[in-house]
Amino acid sequence: MRYLFISLLVIFILPSFAVGGYKEEFEREFMSQPWAGEQAEENACIACHVSDKMEPKLKNIPQNWQMSIHYENNVSCHDCHGGDPMDAAMSMSRQRGFIGAPKYTEVPEFCGKCHIGILKNYLESGHGKALKKTGKGPNCVTCHGSHKEEQFIQKANIDIINEQRCTKCHSYERAMIMKQALFFTEKKIGELEDNFKSLKKEGVFTADDEKPLFSTQAEFRALFHTVDVSLVKERTDEFRKRIDIIEKNIQDTFGELRFRKNFSAFILLLFTGMGVVLFLISKTPKE
Amino acid sequence: MFNKIKKWLEVRIGLDDLTRTQLTEYRVPKNVNIFATLGFVALAGYALEVISGIFLLIYYTPHPDHAFRSVQDIMTRVPYGWLFRQMHVMGSNILIAVVMLHMVTVFLMGNYKRPRELTWVGGGLMLLVTLTFGLSGYLLPWTQLSYWATTVVTSMPTAFPYVGDFIARLLRGGDYISGITLGRFFALHIAILPPVFLSLIALHLFLIRRIGISATPFGTSDEEKRPLTEYKKKTYPDGSPYYPYFFRKQLLMVMIYVAVMFFLITFMPAMFSPDEANTPANPLKTPFHIRPEWYFLAPYQMLKLIPNKFLGISIQIILVGIFLLWPFLDSQKEKNVFKRPVLRGVFTFLLALWVVLMFWGKY
Repeated sequence: MRYLFISLLVIFILPSFAVGGYKEEFEREFMSQPWAGEQAEENACIACHVSDKMEPKLKNIPQNWQMSIHYENNVSCHDCHGGDPMDAAMSMSRQRGFIGAPKYTEVPEFCGKCHIGILKNYLESGHGKALKKTGKGPNCVTCHGSHKEEQFIQKANIDIINEQRCTKCHSYERAMIMKQALFFTEKKIGELEDNFKSLKKEGVFTADDEKPLFSTQAEFRALFHTVDVSLVKERTDEFRKRIDIIEKNIQDTFGELRFRKNFSAFILLLFTGMGVVLFLISKTPKE
Repeated sequence: MFNKIKKWLEVRIGLDDLTRTQLTEYRVPKNVNIFATLGFVALAGYALEVISGIFLLIYYTPHPDHAFRSVQDIMTRVPYGWLFRQMHVMGSNILIAVVMLHMVTVFLMGNYKRPRELTWVGGGLMLLVTLTFGLSGYLLPWTQLSYWATTVVTSMPTAFPYVGDFIARLLRGGDYISGITLGRFFALHIAILPPVFLSLIALHLFLIRRIGISATPFGTSDEEKRPLTEYKKKTYPDGSPYYPYFFRKQLLMVMIYVAVMFFLITFMPAMFSPDEANTPANPLKTPFHIRPEWYFLAPYQMLKLIPNKFLGISIQIILVGIFLLWPFLDSQKEKNVFKRPVLRGVFTFLLALWVVLMFWGKY
C-alpha cells in the first residue's frame, strides 16, 4: 500500500512541475476573476483621482461618487464624462469621447442625456427658464448635488425640497405647497420600495411589480420638475391609481407568503405528530 | 375486500412467504443503533426528490430564454408549485447532509470492512452521483447565482494540461455557459443520472440483503476475524424482527427528516436563495462573491489555497480515489475505530479540515 501511495504522488506531482507555465495562464483565466474572491479594479479615472498627484479639491471625487445613487446603480465616471477608463494614457482623450466637466449652464443637457423626461419638464419650468435667461437659475446640481466638495448625488427624495435650499433663491411658500402636493404619493412610493426590499429578503422575485413602480415614480418625479403645483395636483389621482394597483399586488404577495408559512407549518406539525406517535409505539415492551 | 386482494396476491406472488422472509422473520442485531437508519432515510429523501422533481418537470422549460421565467412561474403562479420547488431544493440540501452523515457513521463503525467492500464502493459512487445531481440541478433555474457558480465549477478541469480544455468544453458545449450547457445539464439531471443512480441503489440494497446487515461493533466483537474463504450470509437468529421494530425506527427517522425539511421551508424559506438566486442569468455581468453550493465549498477553498491548480485538483482526485477504494487499502482487521488511534486521529483531522475549509470558503 505504501508503494501505491508513493507511485500515485509521483504520477501526479511530476507533471505539475512540468506544466509550470500552465499555472500562470490558469490563474489569470480562472482565479483572478471576481468569482474567485477579488474584483480586479481597472479604472484609470479612480486610480489617478485618488493618487497623491491629484490636487486636493479633485481628490475626494471617487469617494463622494461612491456615496451616490449613481454608484449604487453602476453608473461610472465614463458614463457621464466619456473617455476610456481602461486605458490610463487615453483616458481623457477627446477621441475616446472625453467631455470633461460641463459649464454651469450646460449641466441640464449633461444630465439630460440619461434623464430625458426630466430635462424636458425642467426646461419648460420656471427653474429652466431662469437658467436660460439669466445663466444663474438653479440647475440639476443645485438641488441634487454633484461630487464636488463633500457633496454626493442624492437619490430623488422629497427631503431635497427644504427651506434652507429653496430660500437661497426665493421664498419658501410656493415650494412648501408643492411639497404638500407631492407628499402622500412620495410617501407611498417610499413604503412600496421598503416592501419590495423585505419581499426580496423572503426570496420573492419582484421585478414584475418593480418595473411599473419604477416607471410610475420616474414619471411622477419628471412631472414635479415642471414646478407647476396645479399640474401636479391635477395629475396626482392618476398616479395614485397606478400605485394602488402595485400596492394591491404587494399585499397579495404578503398574504400568499403568510399562507405558505401556515401551510408548511401545518405539514411540519403533522409530521412531528406522526414522529411522536411512532416514537411512543416503537418502545414496546416486547423489544 | 382487503382479504380478497390479499388472497389474489397470495396465489400469484406468494405474499405470505414474501412478508415472512423479507419482513417478520428477517432479523436485525439487537444492538443496532439509530445511525443504521440513515441509509433508509436517504432512500426516502431520494423518493421525495423524484416525486417533487416530476412535478417541477411538468412546468419547467429548459431554454435560456424561458428557464428563469418558468421557475418564477412555478414559484408564483402554479398552484402549490412553491411547495414542490421548496421540497426539491431544501430536500436536496438536507439529503446530501444525511448521505454524508451516513458515510461518516458507516466509516466510524467500520462497516465498510470485508465482506462489504463493494457496498462501500457502491455507496461512494452514489454520493458522487448525488453531488453531480446537485451540480446539474443548480444551473437549471438559470439565475445569476447558478450561471456563475457553474462557470466556476466547469472552469476547474481547465487546470489539466491538454485534456482540461476538452473536458471543460465537453461540459459546457462550448467556451462559455450557454443554452447548450443548460440542455446538457438538464439531460444529465433528468435522464442520464437517474438510471445510473437507480442501478447503484439496486446494487447497494441487493448487497445489504445478500451479505446481511452489519452489527454495531461497539461493545461487541462478533465479526469474524479469520480469513474470508467462502460466502456466508450474516444472520442474527436472536435479533429482533425487522418488521415492525426496526422499520418503525426507520419511519421515525424519516418523520424527523421531513419535519426538518418543513421547518426550514416554514422558517427559513430563503436559506438557499440569496439575491443572485432571484436575478436572471446575465453572462455580461459578473456578480461579486459568487461561490458554489455549501457541499462544494471545502474543495473550492482548497483549490484556492493550493498555488498550483493542477496539483490542487490532482490531490482532490487522489482523495476521491482513496475515499472510494478505502476498504481495499485498509487491511487492519479491527473494526472498532475507537481501538485504532491513528485512523481515528486522521479521520477527525480530515473532518475538522472539511468543516474549516467550508466556512472559510463561505467568507
